[in-house]
Amino acid sequence: MSTTVSEAIGETLPPEVRELLNSEDGAAFEQALDVMLRQREQHLFRALGLLARDLHGAVRRLGGELAHEGVPDSVADARKHLGDVLEMSAKAAHRSLDFAERMRPEAEALANNAAEVLAFTDSQNDPAAVLARQAQAFAASSREGLNDMVLAQSWQDLSGQRIKKVVVFIESVESSLLELVRLTGALAGGEAPVTAAKVTSQDEADRLLSEFGF
Amino acid sequence: MKILVVDDFSTMRRIVRNLLVELGFSNSLIQEADDGNNALTMLRSTSFDMVVTDWNMPNMTGIELLRAIRAEPKLKGLPVLMVTAENNREQIIAAAQAGVNGYVVKPFTAVTLKEKLDKIFERLAANGASA
Repeated sequence: MSTTVSEAIGETLPPEVRELLNSEDGAAFEQALDVMLRQREQHLFRALGLLARDLHGAVRRLGGELAHEGVPDSVADARKHLGDVLEMSAKAAHRSLDFAERMRPEAEALANNAAEVLAFTDSQNDPAAVLARQAQAFAASSREGLNDMVLAQSWQDLSGQRIKKVVVFIESVESSLLELVRLTGALAGGEAPVTAAKVTSQDEADRLLSEFGF
Repeated sequence: MKILVVDDFSTMRRIVRNLLVELGFSNSLIQEADDGNNALTMLRSTSFDMVVTDWNMPNMTGIELLRAIRAEPKLKGLPVLMVTAENNREQIIAAAQAGVNGYVVKPFTAVTLKEKLDKIFERLAANGASA
């Protein structure tokens, strides 16, 4: 009445399982199966434990870098560097605008003076009139060039907007990392700190990280 | 003509101011705000003839400012020119639906700014004449 497991399947199974499957003792079969399943579960839990520990270790290293000030490639510093670039580029653009605003009235005054000279003498043979005309042309082209220079400063706004977007992106990466640190900290044996997930300042970030010994 | 220039970048406010002066508007009648909230406060306390605003700003964006202006009986007729780096279809449509009077995409030239301003004033004059 006992049916043997087919040869094809039988060959792939460990000998003790093959023996059990062919056994007529139902209780022994169940017990053996139970032991086997428990062994499998333990393997799985051990693997999960190792995975959690590895993850925690990786995040811990990342968190350490995150909180470490003065390292050029740390996330907090990257954000600060971008802020500095934004400020420096704004200053540079304002200097150019200062220059344009200072020179524009001078160009205008030169054009007016030339017009006054030309009101006196308009002869093509008079060197004063020739010079006055040249001055007028120069004033006009200066004015045009200054306008172009003013407009060209809009690069600061366009590049600055992109920089701001990158800063926002870095902030979101930073808070995701901190959230990960919080979660793995809780996983690795402690309770999750009551701190809200959203971290807004460097101080809060440092405080949160210090709760995990970073 | 009293104009309010709204942009979170001080360089851009200055550039727009420079261009407006070059186009013949009086420098002393141009005022500046660095976001929509401050602009709205200024618009409520002083009377302006036109608003030139950026889109992307903290606290209150340009489109929110435009909607706030159109929602307020005292301000709803104010011409609003949008000067922005945002140039995707949806945003332009959103601005048009909110009742923008003109839309200039950055980077722009003085000629473009003049064209858009002229168009705004032409339309306003035509509306004024037909009303």
